[in-house]
Amino acid sequence: MTRRRFGTLAWITWLYVLWSLLPVLIAVRISFNSGKSRSAFQSMSMRWYWHDPSSVWKSDELQSALSNTLKLAGLTMLIATPLGVGMAIGLQRWRGRVSRGANNLMLLPLVTPEIVVGVSLFLVFTQIYTGVPRGFTTQLLGHVTFTMSYVVIIVRARLLSIGIQFEEAARDLGASRLQALRLVLLPQLGPAIFASLMVVFATSVDDFVISSFLSTGLSTETVPIKIYSTARAAATPNVNALATVMLVITLVAVGIAGVAMRLLRKHGAGDDSSLTSMSI
Amino acid sequence: MTAVVDDAPLTPLGATPSSDATSARTRARFWAGMAAPGTIWLIALYVVPAYAILAVAFGDIDPILRTAAPAWNPMAWDTSPMTNVLGRVFGGNLGHVFVRTGLYAFAALTGCCLIGYPVAYYVARVAHRSRGALLALLVLPFWISYLMRMLAWVNLLQTDGYVNRVLGWLQIGSGSRNWLDGDWPTVVIGLIYGYIPFFILPLYAALERLDARLIEASRDLGASALSTFLRITLPLSIPGLMAASVIIVLPMCGDYYTNTYLTGGSPRTEMVGNQIEFFLRGSSQPQTGASLVIVLMAFLMVAMAYYLVTIARSQREDARI
Amino acid sequence: MGTTRRRFIEQTAGLGALLGAGIPLLGACGSDEGSSSADPIRDGLSPEVGPLRVFNYADYVNPDTVASFELKYGVKVEITTFDSDAEAITKLANGSVDVDVFNSAAPNTLDRLIAGGLLQPLNKSYLANFANVLPSFTDPWYDKGSKFTVPYTVFSSGIGYRADRIDPALVEEMGWDILWDPTYKGVTSILDDYREGISLALLRAGVTDVNTTDVDLIKQAGDDLKQLTNSMNIKVNIEAYKDIPEGSTDLAQTWSGDLLAGAYSYLPEGTDPSVLGWWYPSDGVGVVGNDCMVVTASAKNPVLGHLYINHLLDTANAEENFSWNGYLPPIKGLDADYLIAQEYTPENLRGAVLTDEQMAKGLRYEPLPVDTDRLWEDTWSAFTAG
Repeated sequence: MTRRRFGTLAWITWLYVLWSLLPVLIAVRISFNSGKSRSAFQSMSMRWYWHDPSSVWKSDELQSALSNTLKLAGLTMLIATPLGVGMAIGLQRWRGRVSRGANNLMLLPLVTPEIVVGVSLFLVFTQIYTGVPRGFTTQLLGHVTFTMSYVVIIVRARLLSIGIQFEEAARDLGASRLQALRLVLLPQLGPAIFASLMVVFATSVDDFVISSFLSTGLSTETVPIKIYSTARAAATPNVNALATVMLVITLVAVGIAGVAMRLLRKHGAGDDSSLTSMSI
Repeated sequence: MTAVVDDAPLTPLGATPSSDATSARTRARFWAGMAAPGTIWLIALYVVPAYAILAVAFGDIDPILRTAAPAWNPMAWDTSPMTNVLGRVFGGNLGHVFVRTGLYAFAALTGCCLIGYPVAYYVARVAHRSRGALLALLVLPFWISYLMRMLAWVNLLQTDGYVNRVLGWLQIGSGSRNWLDGDWPTVVIGLIYGYIPFFILPLYAALERLDARLIEASRDLGASALSTFLRITLPLSIPGLMAASVIIVLPMCGDYYTNTYLTGGSPRTEMVGNQIEFFLRGSSQPQTGASLVIVLMAFLMVAMAYYLVTIARSQREDARI
Repeated sequence: MGTTRRRFIEQTAGLGALLGAGIPLLGACGSDEGSSSADPIRDGLSPEVGPLRVFNYADYVNPDTVASFELKYGVKVEITTFDSDAEAITKLANGSVDVDVFNSAAPNTLDRLIAGGLLQPLNKSYLANFANVLPSFTDPWYDKGSKFTVPYTVFSSGIGYRADRIDPALVEEMGWDILWDPTYKGVTSILDDYREGISLALLRAGVTDVNTTDVDLIKQAGDDLKQLTNSMNIKVNIEAYKDIPEGSTDLAQTWSGDLLAGAYSYLPEGTDPSVLGWWYPSDGVGVVGNDCMVVTASAKNPVLGHLYINHLLDTANAEENFSWNGYLPPIKGLDADYLIAQEYTPENLRGAVLTDEQMAKGLRYEPLPVDTDRLWEDTWSAFTAG
């Protein structure tokens, strides 16, 4: 390969990165706008974060959206990850037609358009599971449903590269199947579990369609719903501020998780980034 | 690190060799038990809701409130709303919405391939020192809310936003074009912008796993860089490319918020998702909305089946290694 | 391995039978207007702790007016919004929103809410300010005796435009046809509401029955609307109230209140309100509508709900609200002369404040039977499908 070819590809890549991230940086900059415009920056100000009545600090609406989003994401993380890990391990080692069926079932939410999932969940909670408290609970159930599959894919990719010899050794030394799982396999899966937690968190924070279909009013709105509502109503940079706050929180959470993962990682085995194991 | 297996060749990694049937059954039940909670959850909250859509589509409405009154028993299904929808889709006034949706998805996919493949290839196979940084930057959009990225895009596309300013400075076009007018380029570019991170990462992973020795061998045997790429690398990356494509095209076909967000509500960029939303959220015929969902899924079923078959195959191959 | 498919279908069929049995019961109880299973709340109750959940269009009530209510009763008000009347009704009907007060109830869909038992009768002992309501609205056709509703705003559907870009005389001359004039391609919008859109085409064609069941007329209206898609690059939304002042839309079918809201709240700094123009048929043959305030049957804060409604009926509060959202409350004393004198309304937008005559002569949307509604919806869907 000639050097010039390298050059073109590198150019394309870095231009793409710029195109991908620059708009977000500009949106963040607008959140510091002293004026009301969302396109013309006037001067720096913390107005939309702090002193304006509709700012993130002062507006109950925005804070409720923020806290709803975080609560949903946190609980989804805690529920979807164990369910997904269990499924990944179980499906991997359980043979037969039922297992293959369960596997296909697990893959379906990944490729189902969100509107279909949202509509179906909405219908099911209004028609069948009418006892479930609408709003936060139904949103949580919906989020877990469609994020579980991500966990399975990530954990399974890692499972493939961990052999069974450690577990076998443990069982030979007298551990029960459960103990072998708990003491040997789960620690080995650590990075994948961490990656799953982060992916579930990010996916849940990002979700718009399902939260929107299952929302019961202002008190169950999330940050994406708030951002979307600016398409149909007069908007000020306070929504940029809200999105920026959410972004910072997410990045901090991911950063902490990444650092924790690195500190806890014992064997350097596995891919560069468990995140890319989201592929097939 | 291969596990010794004395069972059938397609045993997935991790199956403990056993000698008696009881142990095999206990083993199977143990693993099934691990997978059970997740499976039951998915049945309750994916399969049952899917049936709810069918029941609503073939059901009736409450005469006063005009909300859905689903028909659970297939014997009681009323097929007339579905027939009506099918009539409108095939040869009626809804057909071109499906076509338009497909075209947008295809155009966005093409854009993602043209931009995403070189990027993924570069990061997977060419970049060395900068790979870590690039990877982090590629992953970053995952952590940024989709709608925030759209919001950023809308800010730029406003009449006095940066896109027009840059174009004016570069002297391309009039410099004051209304991008949010309801044109298909805005929507397609929006879709590309939104979905491309979900395309690049799986593609990167697939390209990264290509066996470097095959490429080296090709070069050793005298093939040029271009020839190697066209005859070795590209064909080997096709499965990854297809999978990445399916991952973004299927959700795109149900997208209704990207175009709503990026246009002032324009009939010229209406997608299937918008029609579904109209009928299910604000009409007296939820059956039509549910029927449209079913028709959409039917169209996507081919791609979904392909995805399932390919994944299953690649998982078996992985397990065999 | 858990439930078999057959057992599952049996179970849900059983559930379906139960649901099926329940629905006719609901139907039996709502066969005539005014009947509802709820009783009004008793007199003299003290307000709840809140928060009060209100359901209305976005940007439809002055934040200051809401704030003064919050201060007065020491409660919080949460406003949930929606984009169209149909969406609001659907959400209320299938219980997917949990609200106390619905502030944008339209007369042509009220019958469903009343018959479906979703509203509670109002207790007028909490609504002292009901005396402020214009006499023509105290006993409306859609709610005899004002049992369930109190009017919130009254408005007309006409054409809002940029008077500095389009000659008012031209608008006067062309009337509805101007919305089909390709000169204004790309800068025109119509309302995202299936009743409004189709009735626009009907009125343009000279049909004055905006509740028509005539299949041919409706089809023709749909075809006329379709012309707008490509010849005008029409936009379909309810944002004219900010798009016209901001200049991204020059011409729009919109509601009278939008123009006034635009004049008050959305003009860029330093722009004179004279850039805004309003047109409504001079013979009064246009659509007039009004939104009502109702308290839901399942309201957790019914007393607060009543007090909120009463708060908005107070003349001073109504004025304050109007000075922000532009929609005329049918309150005594708030007419064009007064409002212009108070400098709420610029003189050039006098026409956007409804006169008694316009209120009397205007066409009203009435409830449509299911089949007709479906026809209207399908026609609208064919138009929005592009």
